[in-house]
Amino acid sequence: MVIDSQLMSFFTAGSLIVIGIFAALFLDNLIKKIIGLAFLGDGVNLFIITMGYKPGGIVYIFLPDMTISNFAQTAAYPLPFALVLTNIVIGASTLAVILGLVMVLNKRHGSLSAAKILRDKGE
Amino acid sequence: MSFYDVILNKIRKIQEKAGEDEPVTNVTASTMLTAELTLIASVLIAVVMVRLIHPVLMIIMVAAILIIVFTAMPIMPRLRREQNDDLNNMMFYVVVALGVIVALFYWGNLNV
Amino acid sequence: MDMNVLIAVMVILPIASALFLNLLHKKDRTIKIIAIITAIVLPIIPLLTPYGSHFFGGYVPLAQDPSLAQGLPALITGSQLFQFHLGIMYVFSSAKQLMIFILGLITFFAIFTFINESKRPSGVYAFLMFMGTASVSAILLSDDIFNLFVFFEIAALAQVGIVIASGIKNNYETALKYILLGNIAGPLLLLGIVMLLGITGNVNVTDMIFTLKNGYVNPQSPELLIALALIVFGWLYASGLPPFHTIKSAVYSKALPHGSALLQAFSVFTMVAIGIIIIRLFSYNPFTNIAIIGISLIAMILGITMAIVQTDYKRILGYLAVGELGYIGIGLGLGTAFGITAGLFQAVNEAVITAFLFIGFGTILYKTRISDTRKLGGMMYVNPKVALLVLLAGLAMAGVPPLNAFQSKLMLIQASIQSGLPELGIIMILLSIVTFMTFMKAFYTIYMRPKPKELEVLDNTIPRSTVISLVVFLIVCLTLGLFPEIATNSLQTLAAGLV
Repeated sequence: MVIDSQLMSFFTAGSLIVIGIFAALFLDNLIKKIIGLAFLGDGVNLFIITMGYKPGGIVYIFLPDMTISNFAQTAAYPLPFALVLTNIVIGASTLAVILGLVMVLNKRHGSLSAAKILRDKGE
Repeated sequence: MSFYDVILNKIRKIQEKAGEDEPVTNVTASTMLTAELTLIASVLIAVVMVRLIHPVLMIIMVAAILIIVFTAMPIMPRLRREQNDDLNNMMFYVVVALGVIVALFYWGNLNV
Repeated sequence: MDMNVLIAVMVILPIASALFLNLLHKKDRTIKIIAIITAIVLPIIPLLTPYGSHFFGGYVPLAQDPSLAQGLPALITGSQLFQFHLGIMYVFSSAKQLMIFILGLITFFAIFTFINESKRPSGVYAFLMFMGTASVSAILLSDDIFNLFVFFEIAALAQVGIVIASGIKNNYETALKYILLGNIAGPLLLLGIVMLLGITGNVNVTDMIFTLKNGYVNPQSPELLIALALIVFGWLYASGLPPFHTIKSAVYSKALPHGSALLQAFSVFTMVAIGIIIIRLFSYNPFTNIAIIGISLIAMILGITMAIVQTDYKRILGYLAVGELGYIGIGLGLGTAFGITAGLFQAVNEAVITAFLFIGFGTILYKTRISDTRKLGGMMYVNPKVALLVLLAGLAMAGVPPLNAFQSKLMLIQASIQSGLPELGIIMILLSIVTFMTFMKAFYTIYMRPKPKELEVLDNTIPRSTVISLVVFLIVCLTLGLFPEIATNSLQTLAAGLV
C-alpha cells in the first residue's frame, strides 16, 4: 500500500498542533509547556512546507538551460518556504525570550511549576 | 433582615467557600452589586436582539435568563473568580474560546 | 507608478533609531537628544507623506510596468499573474495618516515623559517603545498579510519587553503569561494566514479579495471558514478582547504609566488594522459581522463589570481600556459606512483618552509608589491641577460633551439605531454611565477622600513635561470634540471602501 506522503505530512502537522495545545494546557512543568508550544509552532511550519509541496516539482532556481514556460510549469511555489524560514526565526527569538524569563523565575521561586509560579497573586 | 444584608451575606458565603480572607466591606458589597446589576441588565438587553432570528425564541431566552439569574445570584463574585490571573485558568479559557470560535464560524457560516 | 519612499520611512525610522539607541549604552545625554528628535519626527512624517503605495524592492504589479513583462510567455501575461502584486506593498491613505499621526503623538509623549521622569534613560526601554511603534505602524500600513504577521510578533515581543523593563513587582510572571498565551495565538494566526495562502495562492490582501470576488475560489469552502476563524482568534489576542482581556489588563497594570499609555495605543491600532482586513476579506459573509458584534459585546460587558470590582487603579484602567475596545468592535461589526467611521473615530479617541488617563494617574505612582486605591486618598491637596486634568480625562472617556468620545459614542449610537439594532445603543449608553461611575469611584478614593495616616507622599515634584503631555492630550480631546469633521472626513473614505 502506497501512502500519500503529502497527506501523511498534513496528518503529522495536525497531530503536532494538537499535542502542542494539549501539552500547553495540561502539563504543569513550564519547560514541558514550552516544549509543547514549540511543537505547536513546528506543526504549523510543517503544515506550510507540506502545502508548498508539488509532486514532480523542481527547485525554484532558474538555470540558464531552462525555458521560461517549462520553469513556470514545473517549479514549486517558493512563497511557503520563504514564510517557513521567517517563522522559524520568529519562533526561535520568542523561545529565547520565554526561556530567559523562565530562568529568572526559576531562580526566584526555586520551582518550575506553572501552578506555583504563575498562579493568581490576588492583585 | 433587609435586602442589603441578604446580599452581603451571600457574598460573604461565596468568599468563604473560595477561601478568601478579604473582609466584606460596604464598598466591596456595593461595587459587587453595581457590577451584578450592570451584568444582568446588559445581558438581558443583548438577548432582546435575538428577536431578529425569531420573536418567540427571544421570549423563551429572556425568560430562561431571568430564571437562571434569580437562581444563581450573585453571579459577579463567581465570575470574578473565574477571570483570575492564573495561567492554567487563562490557558483553559483561551483553548475553549478557540474551539468555540472555530466551531461557530464553521457552523455559523454554513447555516446563517 | 507611484513610489513613495516616505511611507517606508514611517516604519524604518523608528526601527533604525531604536537599534541606534541600543548601541549607545550609558551615554544618557546623547540618548535623550536622539530619542526626543526621533519622537518629534514620528508624528510629523505621516503629515508630510502624500497618499499612495510603496512597493518594497520596486516590484510593482506587471500590469503597471509593461517593460517588466517583456519576453514573458503567455502563460504569465495572459493570466491573473499579470495583475498580482509581487512584492510587499504598503498602502497609505487619509485614515491611516490620522491613525499613524495619533500613534506618533502618543509615542512622542510616552518618550517625552519617560525621558524626563527617569534619571537614567539608558537601557532598552526607549528601544522597545520605538520598536513597538514601528511594528504597529507597519501593521497599519501593510497590505501583505504575512508581513502583518511578522510585525504582529515583533509587537508582541516589544510589549513583553516593556513589561519586563518596568521593574514593577511580579512583572516577570505577567510577561511570561502574556508571551505563553501569545505562543498559542501567534502560530494559529499564521495557520489561518497560510490556509488563505493555500486557497488563494496569495498573501496580498488586495489580490486575495480579487480571487474571492471573481469566483476563482469557493467563498463557502470549509478551509476558508477555518482560516477566518483562526485569523479572528489571532485578532482577539492582538487586541486583548476576551478571552485575552484578563492578561491584557494585567499587562497594562504591570507597565510603567508611559508604557501602559503606549501599550494600549498598540492594542487599539492593531485591533483596527486586523479588524479592517477581516472585514475587507470576509464581509461577504454575514456571520463575520455577527461574530464581531458578539465578541465586542462580551468585551464591553466583561471589561467594564470587571473594572468595577478592581481595587488597583492601574488594573481598573486596564479593564476599562479593554471594555472600551468593544465600542470600536461594534462600530466595525455594524458593517455600514457610518458605523465603521464611528468605530474608527472611537478608536482614535480612545487611544488618546486612555493614554491621557494612564499618564494622568501615573503621577500618583510617581508621588507615592502605590497603586492600590485602598491605601490612597487626599491627593487633591498634593496637586490640584493634575487632579483637574485627570478628572477631565475621565469625563472624556465617559463621553461628556464637548470632549471627543461624546462625538464618537453619539455616532456609534446613531449608527446602531440606523442598522436596526437600538439595543446596542442602549447597552452602550448604560455601560458609558457605569464607566463614568467606575472612574469616579477611583477618582474619589484617590483624590477626594481624607488622606490615610499611613500614606507617605514623596516630596519629588511632578515633572513639567508630564503636565505638558496631559495638557496637549486635553487639547487634542477638545479639538476632536469640537471639530469632529477633522477626523471623520479622513476616516470616511476608508469606511466607504469597506462596505
